[in-house]
Amino acid sequence: MVLMSHREPPLVKKDLAALLSRVALGDRAAFEGVYRATCAHLLGVAFRILNSRERAEEVLQEAFMNVWHGAGGFDASVAGPMTWLINIVRNKAIDALRSGRTERASTSALDEEAMAVAADETQQPQALLERSLEALRITGCMGELGAPQRQALALAYYRGMVHTEIAEALGAPLGTVKAWVRRGLDRLKACLEAAGIA
Amino acid sequence: MNYLLPERLDRLAREYALGTLAGPARRRFERLLRQAPAAVRAVGAWQERLGGLAGTVPPMQPRESVWRALEQRLFTSSRRAAPEGPLQWLWGVLSVRALGGVLAGVFLCAVLLRLQPGLIGMEPQSEVLPQSYVGLLIDAAGTPTVLASSKRHGRLMTVKLLQPVNIPAGSVAQLWALPRDGSAFPVGVVPGTGTAAVALADTSEKLFFNVSRLAVSIEAAPAKAGDKPSGDFVLSGHCVKLW
Repeated sequence: MVLMSHREPPLVKKDLAALLSRVALGDRAAFEGVYRATCAHLLGVAFRILNSRERAEEVLQEAFMNVWHGAGGFDASVAGPMTWLINIVRNKAIDALRSGRTERASTSALDEEAMAVAADETQQPQALLERSLEALRITGCMGELGAPQRQALALAYYRGMVHTEIAEALGAPLGTVKAWVRRGLDRLKACLEAAGIA
Repeated sequence: MNYLLPERLDRLAREYALGTLAGPARRRFERLLRQAPAAVRAVGAWQERLGGLAGTVPPMQPRESVWRALEQRLFTSSRRAAPEGPLQWLWGVLSVRALGGVLAGVFLCAVLLRLQPGLIGMEPQSEVLPQSYVGLLIDAAGTPTVLASSKRHGRLMTVKLLQPVNIPAGSVAQLWALPRDGSAFPVGVVPGTGTAAVALADTSEKLFFNVSRLAVSIEAAPAKAGDKPSGDFVLSGHCVKLW
């Protein structure tokens, strides 16, 4: 589906923005339109962070509650409609992940789930990042970063990890990881600008 | 600490957008986002850059129950309050769709009668505004921002934004009623621009009889009965009786 790509063609982006403006006026059909067009992509984003379909679906539902009540806050001059939606879902997923961790720390029942996440933690996010960089045609430019720097960026973005968790996953000192993330973001900005994307 | 120095702001904005800003620092930055348009813009620019990385995430179709639950939570709260007993069957018959048709009919009648009051021999009786509760909320700079009004015995509040309100992504603008004696209770969620109709939990008369002020705060999610405002009010104003 075209809408699943973040870099939507302008017409689709405009359509989604128009639907959101109708949602702000209480149009239920427009709300369902936004949901149907974006839910699979947004659930994918939440699932990468939470690694649980149930929790990701809960987050999706909460996020769309906010979309219904807060569509008036969508400002096309600040961010595109898909960016706005992804941001709501990512923030909710990150909050759910971090509040869940506190609960999980006091139980051992979910350790297996945590182990499963750990096994896949470093590989998949990096593959997603590499594919995104290819799609954005900035692989060469981002290639100036070392592999660990790209990995740190991928773990933060796709898994919602904080610096200490990335340090643990990659077996690197905290200060080094912070510098990797910082340089990764700087480089991303420079490469997107050089490619005329942002 | 001045968070709005461009370099510091950009550093915080990118860590927030990426998600690595955590714990109390994340909450502090979210508070800043509610107040500083410069922070909203800085985060928006980074979200747009990072958004390009989301395109390759494999989609995952949610189960249909997610949409159904969403519809139920958002649109059928009035049916949950349906009376139990002999009339319960009536609520089953009056589906949301049927109710929509009835409301459309009522609306059409109202429009026709307004345009052609002579149709049923009904002329406007008075030019006086109906008995209503009205609130005019101003922002920190004193600019009128929200006009809220509801008929005295009605269950619907009309909210009109006189200027846009900046609502950070993932948050909502929550309207509160502040009684003369007692603590604030949630009324509903207001949009960032335009006009909205907010369904009230009871008639205006019952809800607002003792209410002297209305106010809006930015919340992470719509407040439920019993919730309290989590932070400062971004808008507030008097609530008056129009009769």
